[in-house]
Amino acid sequence: MSGPTVEARGVSKTFPMPAGPVTALRDVTLDIHPGEHVAITGPSGCGKSTLLHVLGCVEPPSAGRLQFDGRDVARLTDAERSRIRLERIGFVFQRFFLLPMLTARENIELPLGECGVGKATRLERSAELLEYVGLAHRADHRPPQLSGGEMQRVAIARALANRPPLLLADEPTGELDERTGRQVADLLDLVHADGNTVVVVTHDRTIAGRAGRRLCMHDGGLVDGDSA
Amino acid sequence: MSSIAFAWRSLVRQPGRAALGVLGVAAVGALLFNMLLLSRGLVVSLADQLDRVGFDVRVTTGEGLSIAGGSITGASDVVTMLSSLPEVEAVASPRIENGWALWPGRRVPVTLVGSSPGRQSGWRLVEGQDLHEADGALPPVVVSRSVLSNSTPDAAISGTSATGAIGIGSTVMLRGDCLDERSALPPIEFEVVGVAEFPFDGGSNRTAATAPHHLAQICGDVDADEADFLLVASRPAYGPQVTARAVADAVPELYAFSNQELVDQFQQVGFSYFRQISTVLATVTLFFGFLLISTLLTVSVNQRVAEIATMRAMGFRRRRIVTDLAFESAMLVGAGGLLALPLGGVLALILDDILRSMPGFPPELHFFVYQHRAVGLHVGLLAVTAVLAAVYPARLATRLPIAGTLRDEVVS
Repeated sequence: MSGPTVEARGVSKTFPMPAGPVTALRDVTLDIHPGEHVAITGPSGCGKSTLLHVLGCVEPPSAGRLQFDGRDVARLTDAERSRIRLERIGFVFQRFFLLPMLTARENIELPLGECGVGKATRLERSAELLEYVGLAHRADHRPPQLSGGEMQRVAIARALANRPPLLLADEPTGELDERTGRQVADLLDLVHADGNTVVVVTHDRTIAGRAGRRLCMHDGGLVDGDSA
Repeated sequence: MSSIAFAWRSLVRQPGRAALGVLGVAAVGALLFNMLLLSRGLVVSLADQLDRVGFDVRVTTGEGLSIAGGSITGASDVVTMLSSLPEVEAVASPRIENGWALWPGRRVPVTLVGSSPGRQSGWRLVEGQDLHEADGALPPVVVSRSVLSNSTPDAAISGTSATGAIGIGSTVMLRGDCLDERSALPPIEFEVVGVAEFPFDGGSNRTAATAPHHLAQICGDVDADEADFLLVASRPAYGPQVTARAVADAVPELYAFSNQELVDQFQQVGFSYFRQISTVLATVTLFFGFLLISTLLTVSVNQRVAEIATMRAMGFRRRRIVTDLAFESAMLVGAGGLLALPLGGVLALILDDILRSMPGFPPELHFFVYQHRAVGLHVGLLAVTAVLAAVYPARLATRLPIAGTLRDEVVS
């Protein structure tokens, strides 16, 4: 069995604030192995999103050691961390954050283009992903012309564009009604079933219940799971 | 998607903002273009006029630009000597005096020019005949059209005979004011044989040209052999610079300038005000352009922080974000700058007409003259402005905290 995709040891994250530093993560130790489906739950403000951002190399930890694919994230330059995010990690956000001036297809092609993928391959891959998320007929629609569920499905397709081994989803159903949220959760299950590693931050117990491994956070630390 | 395509999409996404930006840059660019045309316009126009006269070297008694330094005495000997130089193709020795053109009941102040006809004359015949040897009748005179015009503003007209024939073939009395002391030189009768355009003739400056010996008669000094300055045409094989040096060597007591040297001196001394004013106004104009573009881009960045943070989270590098903004800036400035050229051209025509209507300003001279150099500078300065204007918004965009921005967007 290969090593963990992400390996966090005693990771903390502190934000300097005018009123004094705020510690969002405290001494988190965690491994994410390839093919895992992990759900991170906990009350608002407990540090779930911060943990996701640290695991996704968006924020460097203030203390502790974080390794991604065996590389020490603290030693990487901003450009190297950007490269990891582009090629090795897919992000899905609560508010979708699709670019409104681009069509669904163009949104999906965006990370491919940044990776230097040629136009023909980009078209082929975006068509394949639109088919995968069930939105082939909406390829040329812009985000304002799509429903919330459709936007999130496009966002998932965009996150998968460069075939990243790790998909990080931050409250992917937070903006959706129950039925649409279930469809998005089904899609994430499908992504996991296809061999991807999926880490989901969620308030929704039903969504969390679909994950093979559930972690609970409280006040910046892991209180359940493999933190011990 | 390339940075260019991305910048284009970002602009057309808010067509109103983009249109305002382009129009703002066009207005700023038009003013900038005008200032660039003005900064050297008069000099270019003067050089053009000097070249049109057909002589490329000027010989004077003074080192400065003014021809009022004194007359060249023994002008015909100097002309003969200079004409023998291998570098010299032709020499003219004009003499210039103030005087009056008189008709019964009509009196017009004129500049009297004594010069040889033909190539050496320095004027361009537009109607009738050029000066020729008098064949026993009246001596000939060539005048500018305004001398003959009944609407000449400062013509003194009295009595009914002023409506008599005034034109080619008519008789005119010329009287000179050639001497410093008050004098009453008798007028001499001439026949108007032609109408010509004289370089540097202004609205209130009218010219009557005749042969040098006839001007000497008008001035009552038939023995005088004087010229105010000499005009020399160089042979193409030598060019004006070499010819000017040869003339200066041949007649050390005189000063010889090529047209280019004369223009350069004007540029440094006479017209430097225009350059300074243009530089100040162009700088202010560019500063306004910089503020306009920078503000538009900063607003644009602030409206799109979530998108920029998303792109950064997805792995887009800072350089890519900067490039996108630079292209957006370049598109705004490029479109506005292109629009500025015809706009500035029209504005230059209007301003040129206004400035040239100044009393006494030669109609052939222009303040605003098209130059390739001005277009090049316009493009270059706007390009630098576009780059500088993108610096602050680019800094904002690249220093955006990714996680914090995304969190704020979700919370808001």
